Amino acid sequence: MAATLPHQDLVAAIPRLRRYARVLTGEGTRADDLVQDTLARAWEKRGLWLAGSDLRAWLFTIMHNVFVNQRALARRDARNVSIDDPDASAAAWQLPVPATQFTRVELMETMQSVARLSPEQREVLVLAAVEEMRYEEIAAVMGIPVGTVMSRLSRAREKLRRTNGDAPLQLKVVR
Amino acid sequence: MMPMPIDDDALNAFVDGQLPSARVAEVEAAIARDPELAARAAAYRAQNVHLREAFDEWLHEPVPAALIAAAAKPARTTRWLPWAASFAMALIGLVVGWSGRDLVLAREGIPTNFAREAAFAHAIYSADARRPVEVAASDAQSLVTWLTRRTGQTALAPDLTSVGFELVGGRLVAGNEKPTALLMYENAAKQRLTLQWRKQSPGTEETQFRYAVENGVGVFYWIDDACAYALSGTLDRRQLLAVARVAYGQIASAAQSLPPH
Repeated sequence: MAATLPHQDLVAAIPRLRRYARVLTGEGTRADDLVQDTLARAWEKRGLWLAGSDLRAWLFTIMHNVFVNQRALARRDARNVSIDDPDASAAAWQLPVPATQFTRVELMETMQSVARLSPEQREVLVLAAVEEMRYEEIAAVMGIPVGTVMSRLSRAREKLRRTNGDAPLQLKVVR
Repeated sequence: MMPMPIDDDALNAFVDGQLPSARVAEVEAAIARDPELAARAAAYRAQNVHLREAFDEWLHEPVPAALIAAAAKPARTTRWLPWAASFAMALIGLVVGWSGRDLVLAREGIPTNFAREAAFAHAIYSADARRPVEVAASDAQSLVTWLTRRTGQTALAPDLTSVGFELVGGRLVAGNEKPTALLMYENAAKQRLTLQWRKQSPGTEETQFRYAVENGVGVFYWIDDACAYALSGTLDRRQLLAVARVAYGQIASAAQSLPPH
């Protein structure tokens, strides 16, 4: 049993945890609360961390579970709302930061098209494309089969491609 | 032999660099033959580039002190810790006793270093030109709600326009014992002030205004209703006191209009 967690590595993981928390919550303040809850949970559960194994993947798994549990609690009284209901959760995801923070307009546009994905698609896409996690790791973090990871990823990418046009690297021609 | 069609899984793995190397050549050949597949591969790769660039901007933001504090090992987790803690407390007591500094304040319940911490937080955050606060004044309502929840003390953002200062926004700062709320104000000359507070243990005696200068930052601090307040800035003492009186007046009158808690 690991008696402790590597403090330096925990601190170094915070920016990535904040980013993942924003992807999950879609809101800056709630995201930082989620990071805090995740770090507290990580210390409680430190005996479950295999020293030397990938700390990021372990922390992300904890964050995913903390988030899902909190969301389930919040929805206990709204049983008729499915967790997959895009109206209930997708609508809540806004850009967690002010638009002016982005240094280029196209980055802003990328974020906006990400905001239009379903929460599950968004989570898988960010973990695969941005965090560059292996599909098996994503499946473990989210507690879903690898096949589900793959189908969500395909749908997310096709949706982005349709919103952004077929060749996003080329400049759009304005008539 | 007809080549196998490239399915979505293979294409995704290809653009993510997760395809087994034995299959990479096969996908490359298919892309060379099939313009539709080539377009999808190019679009997915471009998405990856844009997504990384957009999301990586978040990684460069300063991390709030409260989160760095949360990464530290929580207290009282091992058997030797209480012993070590009492030893440390005894040592701190000795040091404080020897230095004699702020001893009276300590007895009254003010953390002896509250003014020093307030000046330190002021110096760090007011120097930050781009992101001095976590929540901007434009979102004042959620700022106040958040700080109330996190500090356990009903928050109020005093209106300091009468003395020339506008609210910039606020953030949470890791205090030694309890989280500290911080509001930042700025005047037309771009001078910044911070108002910080943190809840004290119940029964803490109220105090008059006190003044301290820490590393060139002036701090007025006081305790009211079991909450310690500090107004910090590099203004001179007279100006700072004028602002402190306005802030104090608004906080005190708001507290009176609230039901006792």
